[in-house]
Amino acid sequence: MNRTIGDARIRIPPRIQQGETIQVSAIVQHPMDTGFFRSADGQPIPAYFIKDVTVAYTGQQVAHFMWTSGISRDPVVTFTLVADREGPLTMRWTDNKGAVFEQTAQIAFSTT
Amino acid sequence: MPRVPEGPPRRQFLKQGLAIGLAVAAGHSLRPVQLLSASAGPDPEVPNEQVAKILKDLFGDRPIRRGQVFLDMPVVAEDGRVVPVIIEAPELPMTADNYVKAVHLIVDHNPDPYLAAFDITPAMGKLSLQFRIKMKRTTWVRAIVETNTGEVWADYARVNVSLNGCG
Repeated sequence: MNRTIGDARIRIPPRIQQGETIQVSAIVQHPMDTGFFRSADGQPIPAYFIKDVTVAYTGQQVAHFMWTSGISRDPVVTFTLVADREGPLTMRWTDNKGAVFEQTAQIAFSTT
Repeated sequence: MPRVPEGPPRRQFLKQGLAIGLAVAAGHSLRPVQLLSASAGPDPEVPNEQVAKILKDLFGDRPIRRGQVFLDMPVVAEDGRVVPVIIEAPELPMTADNYVKAVHLIVDHNPDPYLAAFDITPAMGKLSLQFRIKMKRTTWVRAIVETNTGEVWADYARVNVSLNGCG
Protein backbone atom coordinates (compact mmCIF):
# COMPACT_ATOMS: atom_id res chain seq x y z
CA MET A 1 0.00 0.00 0.00
CA ASN A 2 1.37 3.33 -1.04
CA ARG A 3 0.50 5.89 1.57
CA THR A 4 2.15 8.96 2.93
CA ILE A 5 1.32 10.53 6.25
CA GLY A 6 -0.39 13.84 5.64
CA ASP A 7 -1.83 13.07 2.21
CA ALA A 8 -5.23 14.70 2.27
CA ARG A 9 -8.28 14.96 0.08
CA ILE A 10 -11.34 17.21 0.26
CA ARG A 11 -14.52 16.18 -1.53
CA ILE A 12 -17.21 18.70 -2.46
CA PRO A 13 -20.22 18.31 -4.77
CA PRO A 14 -19.34 18.54 -8.49
CA ARG A 15 -22.03 21.17 -9.11
CA ILE A 16 -22.76 23.91 -6.61
CA GLN A 17 -25.42 26.61 -6.79
CA GLN A 18 -24.72 29.90 -5.04
CA GLY A 19 -26.18 29.91 -1.53
CA GLU A 20 -26.55 26.14 -1.34
CA THR A 21 -25.56 24.33 1.86
CA ILE A 22 -23.08 21.74 0.63
CA GLN A 23 -21.58 18.69 2.30
CA VAL A 24 -17.80 18.66 2.56
CA SER A 25 -15.88 15.45 3.29
CA ALA A 26 -12.19 15.33 4.05
CA ILE A 27 -9.69 12.58 4.79
CA VAL A 28 -6.07 12.82 5.87
CA GLN A 29 -3.67 9.88 6.10
CA HIS A 30 -2.39 9.61 9.65
CA PRO A 31 -1.72 6.68 12.02
CA MET A 32 -3.44 8.36 15.00
CA ASP A 33 -1.40 6.28 17.46
CA THR A 34 -2.79 6.46 20.98
CA GLY A 35 0.43 5.64 22.82
CA PHE A 36 -1.29 2.67 24.48
CA PHE A 37 -0.22 0.02 21.95
CA ARG A 38 3.05 -1.88 21.55
CA SER A 39 4.69 -2.98 18.34
CA ALA A 40 5.20 -6.69 17.50
CA ASP A 41 8.61 -6.67 19.24
CA GLY A 42 7.15 -5.23 22.44
CA GLN A 43 8.28 -1.63 22.02
CA PRO A 44 5.70 0.99 23.03
CA ILE A 45 4.38 2.98 20.08
CA PRO A 46 4.41 6.64 21.12
CA ALA A 47 1.32 8.80 20.76
CA TYR A 48 1.21 10.35 17.29
CA PHE A 49 -2.02 11.99 16.21
CA ILE A 50 -3.72 14.98 14.58
CA LYS A 51 -4.72 17.34 17.36
CA ASP A 52 -6.00 20.38 15.53
CA VAL A 53 -7.93 21.01 12.31
CA THR A 54 -8.91 24.38 10.88
CA VAL A 55 -11.27 25.11 8.00
CA ALA A 56 -10.97 28.44 6.19
CA TYR A 57 -13.31 29.64 3.45
CA THR A 58 -11.89 32.44 1.29
CA GLY A 59 -9.46 33.19 4.07
CA GLN A 60 -11.95 33.30 6.93
CA GLN A 61 -11.87 30.58 9.54
CA VAL A 62 -15.27 28.88 9.68
CA ALA A 63 -14.48 25.88 11.89
CA HIS A 64 -11.86 24.60 14.27
CA PHE A 65 -11.73 21.00 15.45
CA MET A 66 -9.77 19.84 18.49
CA TRP A 67 -9.01 16.15 18.32
CA THR A 68 -7.27 13.50 20.40
CA SER A 69 -5.87 10.10 19.51
CA GLY A 70 -9.42 8.81 20.09
CA ILE A 71 -10.21 9.75 16.49
CA SER A 72 -9.79 6.72 14.20
CA ARG A 73 -6.72 6.36 11.98
CA ASP A 74 -6.79 8.19 8.64
CA PRO A 75 -9.33 10.64 10.06
CA VAL A 76 -12.38 11.45 8.01
CA VAL A 77 -14.71 14.28 8.81
CA THR A 78 -17.88 15.45 7.06
CA PHE A 79 -19.48 18.82 7.69
CA THR A 80 -21.68 21.37 5.94
CA LEU A 81 -20.88 24.76 4.47
CA VAL A 82 -23.04 27.54 3.05
CA ALA A 83 -21.49 28.11 -0.38
CA ASP A 84 -22.32 31.81 -0.70
CA ARG A 85 -19.14 32.92 -2.49
CA GLU A 86 -16.53 31.47 -4.81
CA GLY A 87 -13.03 30.84 -3.59
CA PRO A 88 -10.74 28.41 -1.82
CA LEU A 89 -11.81 26.13 1.01
CA THR A 90 -8.61 25.29 2.86
CA MET A 91 -8.15 22.73 5.60
CA ARG A 92 -5.07 22.48 7.79
CA TRP A 93 -4.35 19.49 9.97
CA THR A 94 -1.69 19.84 12.71
CA ASP A 95 -0.30 16.79 14.53
CA ASN A 96 1.20 16.52 18.00
CA LYS A 97 4.73 16.62 16.55
CA GLY A 98 3.99 19.98 14.97
CA ALA A 99 3.67 18.83 11.37
CA VAL A 100 1.08 20.75 9.35
CA PHE A 101 -0.77 19.26 6.38
CA GLU A 102 -2.88 21.36 4.07
CA GLN A 103 -5.38 20.78 1.30
CA THR A 104 -7.60 23.13 -0.69
CA ALA A 105 -10.77 22.70 -2.73
CA GLN A 106 -12.04 25.46 -4.98
CA ILE A 107 -15.66 26.45 -4.48
CA ALA A 108 -17.04 27.53 -7.85
CA PHE A 109 -20.66 27.89 -8.94
CA SER A 110 -22.02 26.00 -11.88
CA THR A 111 -23.19 28.25 -14.68
CA THR A 112 -26.28 26.29 -15.69
CA MET B 1 -78.37 -8.10 -6.92
CA PRO B 2 -75.41 -6.37 -8.43
CA ARG B 3 -72.21 -7.97 -7.33
CA VAL B 4 -69.60 -5.94 -5.61
CA PRO B 5 -66.95 -5.47 -8.25
CA GLU B 6 -63.97 -7.66 -7.66
CA GLY B 7 -60.63 -8.04 -9.36
CA PRO B 8 -58.65 -5.00 -10.35
CA PRO B 9 -60.16 -2.39 -8.00
CA ARG B 10 -59.68 -4.58 -4.97
CA ARG B 11 -56.19 -5.68 -5.92
CA GLN B 12 -55.35 -2.09 -6.61
CA PHE B 13 -56.64 -1.10 -3.21
CA LEU B 14 -54.53 -3.77 -1.54
CA LYS B 15 -51.50 -2.72 -3.55
CA GLN B 16 -52.00 0.85 -2.54
CA GLY B 17 -52.29 -0.19 1.06
CA LEU B 18 -49.09 -2.16 0.77
CA ALA B 19 -47.34 0.75 -0.92
CA ILE B 20 -48.45 3.11 1.84
CA GLY B 21 -47.33 0.62 4.48
CA LEU B 22 -43.91 0.29 2.86
CA ALA B 23 -43.60 4.05 2.51
CA VAL B 24 -44.39 4.50 6.19
CA ALA B 25 -41.88 1.81 7.13
CA ALA B 26 -39.25 3.40 4.88
CA GLY B 27 -40.02 6.79 6.33
CA HIS B 28 -39.36 5.44 9.76
CA SER B 29 -36.06 3.88 8.82
CA LEU B 30 -34.98 7.20 7.30
CA ARG B 31 -35.07 8.67 10.78
CA PRO B 32 -31.85 7.08 12.04
CA VAL B 33 -32.67 7.85 15.65
CA GLN B 34 -35.13 5.00 15.73
CA LEU B 35 -32.83 2.27 14.50
CA LEU B 36 -29.59 3.38 16.02
CA SER B 37 -28.75 3.72 19.64
CA ALA B 38 -30.01 7.23 20.24
CA SER B 39 -31.86 6.80 23.45
CA ALA B 40 -34.84 7.83 25.43
CA GLY B 41 -35.19 7.49 29.17
CA PRO B 42 -33.17 9.02 31.96
CA ASP B 43 -29.83 10.65 31.32
CA PRO B 44 -26.85 8.36 31.92
CA GLU B 45 -25.21 8.78 35.30
CA VAL B 46 -21.86 10.48 35.44
CA PRO B 47 -19.61 7.43 35.91
CA ASN B 48 -16.55 8.88 37.63
CA GLU B 49 -14.66 11.95 38.82
CA GLN B 50 -12.86 12.33 35.51
CA VAL B 51 -16.08 12.76 33.52
CA ALA B 52 -17.59 14.90 36.29
CA LYS B 53 -14.61 17.27 36.05
CA ILE B 54 -14.83 17.47 32.25
CA LEU B 55 -18.52 18.40 32.44
CA LYS B 56 -17.90 20.89 35.24
CA ASP B 57 -15.01 22.56 33.41
CA LEU B 58 -17.00 22.85 30.19
CA PHE B 59 -20.43 23.83 31.43
CA GLY B 60 -20.08 24.87 35.07
CA ASP B 61 -23.50 24.92 36.68
CA ARG B 62 -25.45 25.42 33.46
CA PRO B 63 -28.14 22.78 33.05
CA ILE B 64 -27.38 20.17 30.38
CA ARG B 65 -30.77 19.54 28.80
CA ARG B 66 -31.58 16.61 26.59
CA GLY B 67 -33.00 17.60 23.22
CA GLN B 68 -32.37 19.52 20.01
CA VAL B 69 -29.24 17.51 19.21
CA PHE B 70 -29.18 13.98 17.79
CA LEU B 71 -26.26 11.62 18.39
CA ASP B 72 -26.44 8.58 16.13
CA MET B 73 -24.10 5.66 16.72
CA PRO B 74 -24.34 1.89 16.24
CA VAL B 75 -25.86 -0.12 19.10
CA VAL B 76 -23.11 -2.69 18.58
CA ALA B 77 -19.63 -1.69 17.41
CA GLU B 78 -17.83 -4.85 16.30
CA ASP B 79 -14.51 -3.08 16.03
CA GLY B 80 -13.76 -0.42 18.63
CA ARG B 81 -11.07 1.05 16.40
CA VAL B 82 -13.58 2.47 13.95
CA VAL B 83 -16.95 3.53 15.32
CA PRO B 84 -19.02 5.96 13.25
CA VAL B 85 -20.51 9.05 14.86
CA ILE B 86 -23.18 11.35 13.43
CA ILE B 87 -24.15 14.53 15.28
CA GLU B 88 -26.96 16.71 13.96
CA ALA B 89 -29.21 19.46 15.25
CA PRO B 90 -31.63 20.29 12.43
CA GLU B 91 -33.85 22.50 14.59
CA LEU B 92 -31.17 24.68 16.16
CA PRO B 93 -30.71 27.99 14.33
CA MET B 94 -27.43 28.89 12.64
CA THR B 95 -27.84 32.62 12.12
CA ALA B 96 -25.41 35.42 12.85
CA ASP B 97 -27.10 36.15 16.22
CA ASN B 98 -28.11 32.68 17.27
CA TYR B 99 -26.01 29.65 16.49
CA VAL B 100 -24.32 26.51 17.76
CA LYS B 101 -20.78 27.49 18.63
CA ALA B 102 -19.33 24.24 19.91
CA VAL B 103 -19.89 20.50 19.94
CA HIS B 104 -18.22 18.28 22.52
CA LEU B 105 -17.91 14.49 22.36
CA ILE B 106 -17.30 12.60 25.58
CA VAL B 107 -16.82 8.82 25.73
CA ASP B 108 -17.30 7.87 29.39
CA HIS B 109 -15.03 4.83 29.66
CA ASN B 110 -12.29 5.73 27.20
CA PRO B 111 -8.78 6.37 28.63
CA ASP B 112 -9.17 10.00 27.51
CA PRO B 113 -12.94 10.59 27.71
CA TYR B 114 -13.01 14.12 26.24
CA LEU B 115 -12.44 12.82 22.75
CA ALA B 116 -13.08 15.79 20.50
CA ALA B 117 -14.45 19.30 20.31
CA PHE B 118 -15.70 21.10 17.22
CA ASP B 119 -15.97 24.90 17.16
CA ILE B 120 -18.34 25.87 14.38
CA THR B 121 -19.86 29.05 12.97
CA PRO B 122 -23.02 30.15 11.12
CA ALA B 123 -21.02 29.73 7.88
CA MET B 124 -21.75 26.02 8.18
CA GLY B 125 -25.49 26.57 7.78
CA LYS B 126 -26.47 23.81 10.19
CA LEU B 127 -24.92 21.42 12.66
CA SER B 128 -24.17 18.21 10.79
CA LEU B 129 -20.95 16.35 11.60
CA GLN B 130 -19.76 12.86 10.80
CA PHE B 131 -16.51 11.22 11.85
CA ARG B 132 -15.13 7.97 13.30
CA ILE B 133 -13.78 7.28 16.76
CA LYS B 134 -12.03 4.63 18.84
CA MET B 135 -13.76 3.04 21.81
CA LYS B 136 -12.23 0.91 24.54
CA ARG B 137 -15.33 -0.80 25.84
CA THR B 138 -19.09 -0.68 26.16
CA THR B 139 -20.06 2.73 27.45
CA TRP B 140 -22.22 5.80 27.13
CA VAL B 141 -21.22 8.45 24.63
CA ARG B 142 -22.27 12.08 25.18
CA ALA B 143 -22.68 14.67 22.45
CA ILE B 144 -23.16 18.07 24.06
CA VAL B 145 -23.63 21.30 22.13
CA GLU B 146 -23.34 24.88 23.29
CA THR B 147 -25.07 27.79 21.63
CA ASN B 148 -23.69 31.33 21.56
CA THR B 149 -26.54 32.33 23.88
CA GLY B 150 -25.34 29.89 26.52
CA GLU B 151 -27.81 27.06 26.05
CA VAL B 152 -26.49 23.54 26.48
CA TRP B 153 -28.18 20.61 24.72
CA ALA B 154 -27.22 16.94 24.79
CA ASP B 155 -27.95 13.53 23.39
CA TYR B 156 -26.56 10.22 24.59
CA ALA B 157 -25.85 6.87 22.97
CA ARG B 158 -25.00 3.58 24.63
CA VAL B 159 -22.60 1.64 22.41
CA ASN B 160 -21.68 -2.01 22.95
CA VAL B 161 -18.08 -2.53 21.94
CA SER B 162 -16.91 -6.04 20.95
CA LEU B 163 -13.23 -5.35 20.18
CA ASN B 164 -11.24 -2.87 22.27
CA GLY B 165 -10.02 -0.12 19.97
CA CYS B 166 -7.83 1.77 22.41
CA GLY B 167 -5.22 -0.76 23.58
